Amino acid sequence: MNKRHKTSRTPTNPWTRREFLIRSGALGVAGISLPALLAACGGGGGGSNALLFDNWPLYIDPSEDGLVGSVERFAAASGVDMSYVESYNDNDEYFAKIQPLLGADKRIEPDLIAPTFWMAGRLINLGWVDKLPLDKVPNKSNLEDNYVKPPWDPTGEYSLPWQAGTAGIAYNIDVTGRELKSTSELFDPAFKGKIGMLTEMRDTMGLILMSEGIDITTISSFEEAASAFEILERAKADGQIRAFTGNDYIDDLVSGNYAACVGWSGDVLQLGKDSPNIRFVVPEEGGTLWADVMVMPKGTENTDAVAKWLDFVYDPEQAAQITSYVQYFSPVKGVQEEVAKIDPELAENPLVFPDSATASRLKSWANLSEDVDAQFADAFSAIIGA
Amino acid sequence: MLARRADIVGLGALAVSASCLVALGTGWFQGTLNALVVLLLLIVVVGVLVLAAFGGPEARRLLAPYGLMKPGLLWMALFFLAPVWSLVRISLSTKESRFSVRYEFNWAWENYSRAFSDFGGQFQRAFLYSFIATILTIVIGYPIAYVIAFRGGRFKNFLLGLVVIPFFTSYLIRTIAWSTILADQGPLVSVLNKLGLVNVFEWLHIMDNGKLLNTPAAVIGGLTYNFLPFMLLPIYVSLEKIDQNLVNAAKDLYSTPTVAFRKVVLPLSIPGVFAGTLLTFIPAAGDFVNAQFLGNPNTTMIGNSIQDQFLRQNNYPVASAMSTVLMVSITALVLLYTKFFGTEKLV
Repeated sequence: MNKRHKTSRTPTNPWTRREFLIRSGALGVAGISLPALLAACGGGGGGSNALLFDNWPLYIDPSEDGLVGSVERFAAASGVDMSYVESYNDNDEYFAKIQPLLGADKRIEPDLIAPTFWMAGRLINLGWVDKLPLDKVPNKSNLEDNYVKPPWDPTGEYSLPWQAGTAGIAYNIDVTGRELKSTSELFDPAFKGKIGMLTEMRDTMGLILMSEGIDITTISSFEEAASAFEILERAKADGQIRAFTGNDYIDDLVSGNYAACVGWSGDVLQLGKDSPNIRFVVPEEGGTLWADVMVMPKGTENTDAVAKWLDFVYDPEQAAQITSYVQYFSPVKGVQEEVAKIDPELAENPLVFPDSATASRLKSWANLSEDVDAQFADAFSAIIGA
Repeated sequence: MLARRADIVGLGALAVSASCLVALGTGWFQGTLNALVVLLLLIVVVGVLVLAAFGGPEARRLLAPYGLMKPGLLWMALFFLAPVWSLVRISLSTKESRFSVRYEFNWAWENYSRAFSDFGGQFQRAFLYSFIATILTIVIGYPIAYVIAFRGGRFKNFLLGLVVIPFFTSYLIRTIAWSTILADQGPLVSVLNKLGLVNVFEWLHIMDNGKLLNTPAAVIGGLTYNFLPFMLLPIYVSLEKIDQNLVNAAKDLYSTPTVAFRKVVLPLSIPGVFAGTLLTFIPAAGDFVNAQFLGNPNTTMIGNSIQDQFLRQNNYPVASAMSTVLMVSITALVLLYTKFFGTEKLV
């Protein structure tokens, strides 16, 4: 098991892949799913025994090294004819793809997708997702308390988290020469031109807002955030910020181009083994907590199969298999105990299983209304300068 | 009658089929009308062929030029006119709502004012950086082309190969490779540090706060590097064609080598410089790769903004307005430039 742990390609942050794909111009990947999406889907009723889950790439334990992956275990246990595809590369790109269909009251092929929480919130607001068949999911009681009726899904009827994680400060101690504790240190003039920020608005702005003492869990208007945007604007104009990137921050951090940057917990977890000079801290002002959540696109017919799948992955024993591979926060209660049986070291890692001190510093964003979300997105894209 | 006025028929067929393709390409018509347009296109094309087959030699002679123009013109109609029409139309449209994919055409000139007000800096940088890069490619490329053409001897092809071989690698990979070479703890910066040249480079504004990477100089350097062959090769071709006897004649008439170069070689190579400038400046002005990998948030070019608005912000009207402005301003610059150097000198 340890061997598998070491050789795993994880953790792969879903957001990062999009950046990589955009940057490398490999948008062709979109083509993989487009024909599938456009194909009309006959499907059976709620009793149909097929399931198509469209998820982010490298976000589940595969069948390899003699181990049976979750998809195969589920298919064997439930008899559901499960298809698992990995064409969800980017929230906005995927949205642009499904928009013409769902917006015109047509259905898309996947029975289940896992957008990031804010995108799920948008889909819920637009009425483009159906309520999950939670009455047929006994294991839903294993949902961690902090995900019950979350801000993006106030009634808790439309979504169940797939995996979660946090954005905090990643730094290269060889360059900084000291431990970092706080988001405000990113604006230290000593690090001029050596600071990186993420293009993911909610992570970058989330940290700055919290360092300004603004509560992102209740934020509801752009005016509340204006001062934080000014800070970012000034830092950019002063040349404090070297670049706004996706996952490529890893390279800049390791090579020493960055002293510090906003980064994702999972990435650093992986790096820590080979590069002990790369550290990660949840800032004392707070780090953002994000989740990729499973939702059912409007008109899904295979609801029974969806219920079986949700029940399967909310079984701690099964969820532990996923966690020990992807190494993100699991939204399922009891996973830590199960992981301890497989990999005791991983079960003690506070970046996979946050202790209460860490957990209390993690905040998730309020569900912004469409107008406010647009204001945030516009202001952010104006600053990051693309 | 038809056979006698075959030239008129040919011209008419050309115009009708081109219009049909533009209509199809831009989606002017829906449903049945669209099918009728396809039918009309087929009838016109087949009709001309029938006329050519049965109209006799005279009709064929009159039809020939229009027939020969057809592939090129129809290609342009479908792949240039139709897209440009759509682009301009969307640039004057408004999205019905934030998440709508429908655009309402309503002469929305505010897209253009937004393109200028929000992205004026990016336009300026695009033209400034590509202008400097173009000058640099001339300064670097001309001497190399000169040496290869006049002093290359039997190594000519080998030397040209050395210029071209790096470009067998993908554009993207070469640019990313530069970000490794220029990195803060990369080879170049550490050499400069050891030589104590950092202050000189800072004074020259090539380095900024001890960095080479993610500076304007890195972006311009990347553009220069990436477009150098597009300048060098046309210059080489024009130099290569110069008859050495002309230079010898100038020297016989008591020209110094400098004067011979200025009065004979340089004027004869200007067409190469002209062609190279077009091949370098136009793509460099729309480039976004170098600014993306070698720049910082304060060095973004208009290409970055267009890409971002199209693919991430989903804001087609403003992105189209920016693209239109970019195309129009490049066309204007090229026309001005042509007025001074003249295409007739493009041998």
